[in-house]
Amino acid sequence: MTVNSNRAFGGRFALSIRAKLAIVALVLLVIPWVGYNYVKTIERLLRDNQVQAVVANARAVATALQDRPRLIELRASEAATSSEDPPRAASDEIKFLVTGLARAGSRIWIVDRRLQLVATAGNLDQPAAVLNEDLAFGPLEHAVRAVLRTVFERVQRPSTAVTEEIIPNDVVFGGREIERALDGTASWRWRAAPDGRAAILTALNPVWVGDRVAGVVVVEETTQPVVSLSNRALEQLVAVTLIAFLVGALTLFWFASSLSSRLRNLRDEAENAIDSQGRVRGLVAGEHARDEIGDLSRGFSTVLERLAQYNAYLETLAGRLTHELRTPIAVVRSSLDNIKLQEAAPGSDVYLGRAEEGLNRLETILTRMSEATRLEQTVRTGERETFDAKTVLAGCIAGYSAAYPQRRFALTMTDEPTLLSGAPDLFAQMLDKLAANAVDFASGDDPISVALYRRENTVVLRISNTGPLLPAEMKGRLFESMVSVRKESAQHEPHLGLGLYIVRQIAEFHGGSATATNRADGKGVEFELWFPVAA
Amino acid sequence: MRRRIAIVEDDAVIRANYADVLTKHGYEVSAYGARAPALAAMRSRLPDLVLLDIGLGDDVDGGFKLCQDLRALSATLPVVFLTARDGDFDLVSGLRMGADDYVTKNMSLPHLLARVSALFRRAELLREPAQTDSIIERGPLTLDLNRFAITWRGVPVDLTLTEFWLVHALAKFPGHVKNRDQLMSEAHIVVDDSTITSHIKRIRRKFSANDVKFDCVDTVYGLGYRWKAVD
Repeated sequence: MTVNSNRAFGGRFALSIRAKLAIVALVLLVIPWVGYNYVKTIERLLRDNQVQAVVANARAVATALQDRPRLIELRASEAATSSEDPPRAASDEIKFLVTGLARAGSRIWIVDRRLQLVATAGNLDQPAAVLNEDLAFGPLEHAVRAVLRTVFERVQRPSTAVTEEIIPNDVVFGGREIERALDGTASWRWRAAPDGRAAILTALNPVWVGDRVAGVVVVEETTQPVVSLSNRALEQLVAVTLIAFLVGALTLFWFASSLSSRLRNLRDEAENAIDSQGRVRGLVAGEHARDEIGDLSRGFSTVLERLAQYNAYLETLAGRLTHELRTPIAVVRSSLDNIKLQEAAPGSDVYLGRAEEGLNRLETILTRMSEATRLEQTVRTGERETFDAKTVLAGCIAGYSAAYPQRRFALTMTDEPTLLSGAPDLFAQMLDKLAANAVDFASGDDPISVALYRRENTVVLRISNTGPLLPAEMKGRLFESMVSVRKESAQHEPHLGLGLYIVRQIAEFHGGSATATNRADGKGVEFELWFPVAA
Repeated sequence: MRRRIAIVEDDAVIRANYADVLTKHGYEVSAYGARAPALAAMRSRLPDLVLLDIGLGDDVDGGFKLCQDLRALSATLPVVFLTARDGDFDLVSGLRMGADDYVTKNMSLPHLLARVSALFRRAELLREPAQTDSIIERGPLTLDLNRFAITWRGVPVDLTLTEFWLVHALAKFPGHVKNRDQLMSEAHIVVDDSTITSHIKRIRRKFSANDVKFDCVDTVYGLGYRWKAVD
């Protein structure tokens, strides 16, 4: 498989489809960035709004006080004479006025020219309604929020942090803004809230009494609502993005996986479409798919079908050739016979003999070819009987000792029953081919070892000889029609590479299969055939 | 009187060659290249023996049809298929059409002549009483070498010439194993091993048709066949 995958992915920077799609999915990451920017813009907009509102509020309070200069003047003069007992009525009135003008969550101080606090109203605590969580969160977000709560809580501590009770001194005393306000200029500024997260907006507006500034209205609001709103928006954004990303990634992953698994199936099937016996099978993976992979599969199937037809043509080629050659050979044969029956010219015997020899070789070829063709027919219509492989094998090996006196055969057979369903004649014919093959290739003095044994429900026949190894390129092709590894020069008689083809045909007729491998000790070749035991 | 042989063969050269050699051996030969003229000629005058090719030009099974027609004209006329087709199917069909023998074209002319003369002898002697000197008896088996006829337990077994020669080769020396090459040369044929196997199968079947217990033709795996003697 390693070899296969190297080939399939060749090249150093090769990426699988899944990896490529994962990279494409990274583009999705731009969504949270865009979202973040959007939320931040909105937040800025809200703050600007807040600034305007607070400034307007301060101005409104100042205007209200301008209309009632008595309140602030009185308060100031009384404070100058007696700080012990401020008159209740004036104090309550200014408080009432300021409280009426204070917005929720804002704090109003009124300071006179001597920077003494005249009145105060409101505080910076948040109105609760804004934090109603159930309003904005759907169930899905809730789930995500539940999972990510710890993360969120670390990032944005809930703003339960105490807000400052009073306006810090540096705002009022020595603050540049308050001096400018006392000079008659309205202004505003940001400062950090004590919890360090939100900011506090301070707007100052002078209170004119006549043509002089009698005091300053200081209105403060925290940005807490805006911050918390933007935090929640961010939270939602993260949740939605995460969900979308997760769903998108999973979908892409699933899609990529199914795609690559389909392609892998197709590849595996295409690789095994031509089996070790040289037969071609069609593809079934993605056969009915109505996409490009289906097209690929069908296209490949068509190619394979053509290959199968060609193979079938090759296999019947021997048969056709026999038939076609027989007539011209008959012409030559009968002509030669006629010459022989006539009074021959002196010296023509030699040539007649040679012609005869050539003709005999041609006929041997023809006989071999017709043997294979005839076998194909027999196998197709073959009658079956149950026979004992041991009997046939023992008889044949005894025969081979006589037929090949130069070569010894070492036979080992199991005691278990080895009944097969098929034709003993064909089985013997198959043994003939295997023996002839082993004898032709055997070298040295080692006997050809033949073993018959049971392996579970199969009968295994193994024939092994010492001698030259199988060439690597012939692996798996040996049992095809007209394939031979014999060297041209070593041939005494014609070989068409039909012997092992016949072996394969007969093995298959018996429901079995055949393989040829190099021996483990590297000294020779081993043929192994499996047959199912007859029921 | 010279014996008359008809050759029906579409290949002109082979036809001429066969005609030449048969003429040289004293037969009167008439050669035809197609079915219709051959049948017309044989209707007017029946030859003594017919050599038939199966495929006659475009007429793929012309030989088979001609054989049927000839059998309708005469039940005893010896007919030999001489063809390029060597499949079992054609062989069986040919013999079923009533041919006396079926040989492939690569047969040598001497083999063909032997076959022709054997067939003539058989046709001739069938009408005469058997001569005892040419009879071989092997238990229930009787072989008449002159008439190429075989009986098993007194019942004649209808064998082709090739089959007769094969049985003769085996039964001559019961118990001796004959390999396929020996059998081929005794039967004057050159075929592949599996053809011998199917001949043997057919012989067994023909004997078994008369006697289900027949098992005298014994396969010796790896060597060949032998005749198993019975009492």
